[in-house]
Amino acid sequence: MTESGPQASGRQALPVATYPEVRLYAGQVARARGRDLTLTVGLFALAAVAGLFGPRLLGSLIDGVQHGTTAGHVDTIVGLIALFLIVQTVVTRYAKLAAGKFGEGVLAELRENFVAGVLELPLSVVERAGSGDLLSRSSRDVDMLSMAARYGVPTTLVAIVTTLLTVGALALVSPWAVLPLLVIVPPIAVVFRWYMKRAPEGYLAESARYADMTDSLAETVDGARTVEALGLQRYRIGRTDEDIRRQFAAERYTLRLRCVFWPTAESCYILPVALTLLLGGLGYVHGWFTLGQVTAATLYMQQIMGPIDDMLAWADQLQVGGASLARLLGVAGVPADREASGEQPDGEDMRARDVRYSYIPGREVLHGVDLSLTAGERLAMVGPSGAGKSTLGRLLAGIHGPTAGSIAVGGVPLVELPLADLRGQVALVNQEHHVFAGTVRENVVLPRPEATDAQVRDALSAVDALTWAEALPEGLQTAIGADGHTLSPAQAQQLALARLVLADPHTLVLDEATSLIDPRAARHLERSLAAVLEGRTVIAIAHRLHTAHDADRVAVVEDGVIAELGSHEELVATGGAYADLWESWHGRGAAAAEQV
Amino acid sequence: MTLGAFWGVVWMVSQALMPAAIGKTIDAGVTAKDTAEIWRWSAVVLLLGCLTGLAGILRHRCAVTNWLTSAYRTVQLTARQATDLGATLPSRIATGDVVAIGTADTSSIGSTMDVSARFAGAVVSVVLVSVLLLSTEVRIGLTVLIGVPLIMALVGPLLKPMHRRQSEVRALQGKLTGRANDIVAGLRVLRGIGGEPEFAERYREQSQELRFAGVRVARVESVLESAQVLLPGLFVVGVTWLAARLAVSHDITTGQLVAFYGYAAFLVVPLRTITEAWGRLLRAHVAATKVVRVLALSHPLAETAGSQERAEGSGALVDEHSGLNLKPGSFTAVAAADPAEAIELADRLGRYRAAEGVTLDGVPLEAMPLGSLRRRVLVADNDARLFSGRLADGLAGAGAGAGAGVGAGAAVGVGADARADGMGRVTAALHTAAAEDIIEALPDGLDTTVSERGRSFSGGQQQRLRLARALLADPEVLLLVEPTSAVDAHTEARIAERLAAARAGRTTVVFTTSPLMLDRAERVVFLAGGRAAAEGRHRELLATVPAYRATVTREED
Repeated sequence: MTESGPQASGRQALPVATYPEVRLYAGQVARARGRDLTLTVGLFALAAVAGLFGPRLLGSLIDGVQHGTTAGHVDTIVGLIALFLIVQTVVTRYAKLAAGKFGEGVLAELRENFVAGVLELPLSVVERAGSGDLLSRSSRDVDMLSMAARYGVPTTLVAIVTTLLTVGALALVSPWAVLPLLVIVPPIAVVFRWYMKRAPEGYLAESARYADMTDSLAETVDGARTVEALGLQRYRIGRTDEDIRRQFAAERYTLRLRCVFWPTAESCYILPVALTLLLGGLGYVHGWFTLGQVTAATLYMQQIMGPIDDMLAWADQLQVGGASLARLLGVAGVPADREASGEQPDGEDMRARDVRYSYIPGREVLHGVDLSLTAGERLAMVGPSGAGKSTLGRLLAGIHGPTAGSIAVGGVPLVELPLADLRGQVALVNQEHHVFAGTVRENVVLPRPEATDAQVRDALSAVDALTWAEALPEGLQTAIGADGHTLSPAQAQQLALARLVLADPHTLVLDEATSLIDPRAARHLERSLAAVLEGRTVIAIAHRLHTAHDADRVAVVEDGVIAELGSHEELVATGGAYADLWESWHGRGAAAAEQV
Repeated sequence: MTLGAFWGVVWMVSQALMPAAIGKTIDAGVTAKDTAEIWRWSAVVLLLGCLTGLAGILRHRCAVTNWLTSAYRTVQLTARQATDLGATLPSRIATGDVVAIGTADTSSIGSTMDVSARFAGAVVSVVLVSVLLLSTEVRIGLTVLIGVPLIMALVGPLLKPMHRRQSEVRALQGKLTGRANDIVAGLRVLRGIGGEPEFAERYREQSQELRFAGVRVARVESVLESAQVLLPGLFVVGVTWLAARLAVSHDITTGQLVAFYGYAAFLVVPLRTITEAWGRLLRAHVAATKVVRVLALSHPLAETAGSQERAEGSGALVDEHSGLNLKPGSFTAVAAADPAEAIELADRLGRYRAAEGVTLDGVPLEAMPLGSLRRRVLVADNDARLFSGRLADGLAGAGAGAGAGVGAGAAVGVGADARADGMGRVTAALHTAAAEDIIEALPDGLDTTVSERGRSFSGGQQQRLRLARALLADPEVLLLVEPTSAVDAHTEARIAERLAAARAGRTTVVFTTSPLMLDRAERVVFLAGGRAAAEGRHRELLATVPAYRATVTREED
């Protein structure tokens, strides 16, 4: 992001999928992996059924014991319990594994689709949305979803199946046995709804505040020298204390939610057990139930609370996971920004006619720019920051279409070229110097993966980077970027330029592409680059005046228009703003001016 | 802490007593057909359950409070330590280690607060259940007491491979997230110049790798899960069998049979807690050792600093080594043939490294307390960080008076005059740094919240904001290192014009090789080989010193 354009416009948030879209997606996944899903659910149900025989058999054991039975009968029943236990064990093993395979498969597909969607985002959206929103989707949302898919979804699924089957088992003991369970439905429903309205947001805020706290600690640590230099110790410590205060407030909020929800829920869990004992006991006294029925029902009641608790406990995680899913799916919902007309450019000349542009309607930053570039020309753009140079640069590179007017190459508007064709025509390099995690070679060959080593070397040498690149521990195969060798910003800019050399479009827009390189080295680099780019059209947004001096023509951009346009000599002779600048650069009348 | 342990005990014990209460209901009430007893014991069951819920949440409250208190205390101490170590921090310890204290280590330490309360409850309830069992039926009691730890010991070995694979998955997940973030961060480059298919493919490969690692974890987890069904299950079956045999021969009652079944099922929980507590205490100990090690470090320069304190002087800075002599209130530009030399000299003059031979108003820097030296001499370089937060606060920084006076809503207890004055100083500094357009473009002006490290600003914008901040600090001696290297020529010319006036009467040095800057300085020193090789006006030096001309005009040959 250079200059003030995108900031002034405010960030455009990326879309989030709507609830029906998420449901549609979930439906598609379920259908596409129907067999796996059925298998998983079926196995879990089988495991749950096997687990339900225990209390029932224990009940009949107790009936037997009460009415006098033989040790042999006890052995048989206990043997049966053991048998079902083994069945449950084996089935649980395969159910878990099936769930794992299913979940991991869905998760992998989802994140791969997300990244594919990101890589297809329209250029204008990439330029304007800022990376913050997308970064939080690629890191936090993917993590949240993984958590939900690995543990939340299977646990909830098992819990639902088990609960339903246990209710069935209760009904088999006696239809009346289900009644105590119904008593707790209303209070749990009320408190659960209350909790779910607040919890997901509360937990998100809690973790966001936690991240704030650790981020600002990291900032203090990272900027320790600045803190010392400017005497910011008390300010930074105060900042940490403030972060802690806010994090604590978020923690207290969720703690309060739990303090209401959990005791209520847990008291509800025991109520059916006590009720079953009471009513069952009274019923036994009246001879309506056997002791075995009472025992079995009581044990079922205790047993069913586990899965119910699981369902309630995971519900907020699932909701958070659902929100993350919506944000991941939303990326695919960005509409394309260019429509290819199919026309082929006739020639390489570029022409801008009455180009206007506003990021926000009504706040125009370019007010009618006309510019013609002949193939092979080198144009330098200079002007104060905020004048609109970078915006014009992006328009000339075909990243946005102008709000009014047109920019065409060989007669075809840039925004009507398919992206692949556009890249063959124009390319933009700006100050941004991202180094990808990978080898030096991988960082350079982006536009042409099939490039030979010799071509890569040539490209690096054109930007004065071959010497240091070969001096790296493993030469061009050295890992750089996030996990590898750290490059200086200047070296990163050189790599960006090397990519451009390899891409070899006929027109290049360089937006302060050498600004981070030491001024002395920058000039040498620009000259060697110019030699390689001989015959290419170059639009250089210049940072240093020597770039302007070396160009064929200079355009002075001020307040959204081209104020002066001509060769260096012409502009110096005219005595305008450029001439003033040039004079102060070299000193009035100093002999050195002529020597450069 | 004690309170937490108390609720932990109540919570566990109330659960431990549940099987007994249910057994009692069956024996004293149901089997005996005593309606009053049924009522009484059902009520006891209900109350025990409610007590569990209540004690559970109160225990949780204490645990959260203790956890947070210890975590916050650690973060606070780390932040204080980081500011104490200051510029020497990077050389003493990796920043990653310090940050890890704020995240992983604090939660390791904090979690002991949670686990210790449950640990207390677990120990008490195991003892209680043992007593209950042994006093009712010695044979079953012994079986349970020997059997449960045995089962724990059997499940234990399964946990290790699972933890190993889980951490393998976490590592892969971390790498994959890193890959996705890398794509997002470089998306402009990718979309601008190509290479998407390769990145999509590489991501897919890694994603599939994670997928299969995840399935491997699921495989181990599924074995563990089924072992957790089987082993305690078999144990419960064994106990039930013994108890049922005894019940048949009327050695125990039906209610006791049910109770034994309940105890056997319950005991797994406290025993698991005890093993968990052990592991966590070990990890917390490691974390605490790391924290203590960082907190024990001290600032080496502060230790050696002298005590010749002076609040304010005239700002005469002299360096014997380089021969640089800065008169009070002068404006000097230093052009270094080698950029590294400029940085080294600036660090010497500001005493970020050994500063032998450097004096301020005749006092050696090394004889001054570091705090007062930092207040009087400011080295503003391009490695300086912008901090997140409200922009006005970030600019005013240490100048608390100005900070309180700037912008809306911050002026409690500050008079309108002081506020206007603070505002005026900020406006003036922004003007000098040609940074007004940055503020104008922001939605909330000076009240805008700056993102982490000022990332939402471009390189040139960051540099101008850093300059404005340094000007606002208004030190007696200001050393600016390449303050305009990332701004365009037009803007640089403006800054160069305004800088000397803004610092009038205060000693100022600009390390730069830009002709626009050098031309505006009343005195230029050419630094070569670490020494002042020539000095004069920019144009004189251009005409008379070829090496100087080569440095500033970037001539080739």
